[in-house]
Amino acid sequence: MEKIAVSVDDLTVAYNYKPVLWDIDLAIPEGVLMAIVGPNGAGKSTLIKAILGIIDPIAGSIGIYGKPYEDQRQKVAYVPQKGSVDWDFPTTALDVVMMGTYGSLGWIKRPGKAQKKAALEALEKVGMLPFKNRQISQLSGGQQQRIFLARALVQNAAIYFMDEPFQGVDATTEKAIVNILKELRKTGKTVIVVHHDLQTVPEYFDWVTFLNVKKIATGPVSTIFNDDNLTKTYGINYKVSLQQ
Amino acid sequence: MSTPQIEIQLIAAVVAVACAIPGVFLVLRKMALISDAISHSILPGIVLGFFLTHDLNSPWLILLAAVTGVITVVLVEFIQKTGLVKEDTAIGLVFPALFSIGVLMISRNASDVHMDVDAVLLGELAFAPFDRLLVSGMDLGPKSLWVMGIILLITLGLLWAFFKELKVSTFDAGLSAALGFSPVVLHYGLMSVSSITVVGAFDAVGAILVVALMIAPAATAYLLTHDLKKMLWLSVIFGISAAIGGYWLAHLLDASIAGSITAVLGFIFLLVYWFAPNKGIIAVLYRKRQQRIEVSLLTFLLHLNNHQEESERHINHLNEHINWQKVRSEAVVKLALENNMITVEDQLVSLTDKGKEFTDLALEYILTNKDEHIEHLKKDFFLFRG
Repeated sequence: MEKIAVSVDDLTVAYNYKPVLWDIDLAIPEGVLMAIVGPNGAGKSTLIKAILGIIDPIAGSIGIYGKPYEDQRQKVAYVPQKGSVDWDFPTTALDVVMMGTYGSLGWIKRPGKAQKKAALEALEKVGMLPFKNRQISQLSGGQQQRIFLARALVQNAAIYFMDEPFQGVDATTEKAIVNILKELRKTGKTVIVVHHDLQTVPEYFDWVTFLNVKKIATGPVSTIFNDDNLTKTYGINYKVSLQQ
Repeated sequence: MSTPQIEIQLIAAVVAVACAIPGVFLVLRKMALISDAISHSILPGIVLGFFLTHDLNSPWLILLAAVTGVITVVLVEFIQKTGLVKEDTAIGLVFPALFSIGVLMISRNASDVHMDVDAVLLGELAFAPFDRLLVSGMDLGPKSLWVMGIILLITLGLLWAFFKELKVSTFDAGLSAALGFSPVVLHYGLMSVSSITVVGAFDAVGAILVVALMIAPAATAYLLTHDLKKMLWLSVIFGISAAIGGYWLAHLLDASIAGSITAVLGFIFLLVYWFAPNKGIIAVLYRKRQQRIEVSLLTFLLHLNNHQEESERHINHLNEHINWQKVRSEAVVKLALENNMITVEDQLVSLTDKGKEFTDLALEYILTNKDEHIEHLKKDFFLFRG
């Protein structure tokens, strides 16, 4: 029987009493590379943030390998949307990647040689080692996204959550990121990605969740990625626009 | 220098450092205005504390005032969260309201409280050495030096212990939360320290100038460095320089010390704003000018690349055909020659191999916006720095 990496039960999240996620149930098996798709305002980012305890749900529970997130932080890595931070912050690429190691250190303890070595290895993996001392505002959009990815890699987690890692990156970076994601899956990690580009879903992912405030469908791409679910998620005209 | 002179400078320097440190994080969190709000809204806390303790340097008064500071932040966030008004409006609503309560409290009880609004707003550093800390008859030095010294030590201790937590929660609150470093706890921790610092400093420099000591050193340092630790160090250095420099300026002009310190802070900022190596106005103007010349250079090289015929490669042709003014074409030809991109023989310009390679790379970059092949050019050409 397959193990469940992430379970979501009866999750409801509201902003100012308006539900943005309504009664979501999910069971994400270990080792899948899953896309969360849905229109703008469907609650895709909110779902990830609720799972990670960044926002409080008004109902429901989350399980990371069957336990609450607070007990399982070390098993989870998170790549927020690139636009969620101020890239003029006075810090370097290496320093941002080092932040990924802070979780394993806990409060007060400082990063040392081991953390720096791990950060340098992660930079190498995403092809950003030559830029380690570059101030982050002087990196291109694609490079910034790679830095975020490296920061997640350094956490050496079992489950990776990524919020639109392909937004605003060039084709080369997109390919590089996809390759790293596929490699993560090969080593048995679970990767969950908020994704916008429906065209690439079958190519990049093996599992998909359709979301539009409510969960529409979840399962293997090969069986549930079809016009029926797309239409239910995006509205009646979706089929036409996908064919364009 | 007399002892009071040294003491005043010491107090000013300690206040400046204690303010500069939380100031760095306020500036980076784009919360500079919050320090302004706190500095005003602590007034009712101070007055209430004074009624209870009758001692302007009592720790209770400082704590009460700090609580009012944190209440300010809570109220601002509460109003902001309703979504009815934006943050700046919320700040503008909260702090005058709290400040006015303080003003009313003072004026209602003015007869029996030795405290006036002027002193609160402007402070008076010159009087600080007269208020001594006496323990069983022994003079341990000015009270405000002890108060601010202790606040500074607490600030330094917290900064040392929670530097990484403050950094990650300031840069990326979402990651900070996911890693288990509650951004809310860190936020209110920072707000508490800021409030306590403002209360301690207001006695010396007043409620208005304390804002300058918090924001100006950090804003100045921000223009000079890409490293958070260096930014902290620079802020501290600017704070101390302004404190000492301001004292002597006041001495020279026979004017308010706090006012002079703030004037020096403003002057330092202005200098850096003009002359900072990367972000300064002059550097930016220079960079724009260079970029313009570089674009012309590229146009020129492309032209050479596309036209082999002699008539098109004559140096005078530049002015007529590409329609540049003489000054600019001279600058462009000079730049191209310096970089060995062209050769000029008998007034005929030819592209070198290096020039050809540069043109190809630049074209590729402009068309694809991919920068992996032009990294080595970024150092010499502003054009490729995005």
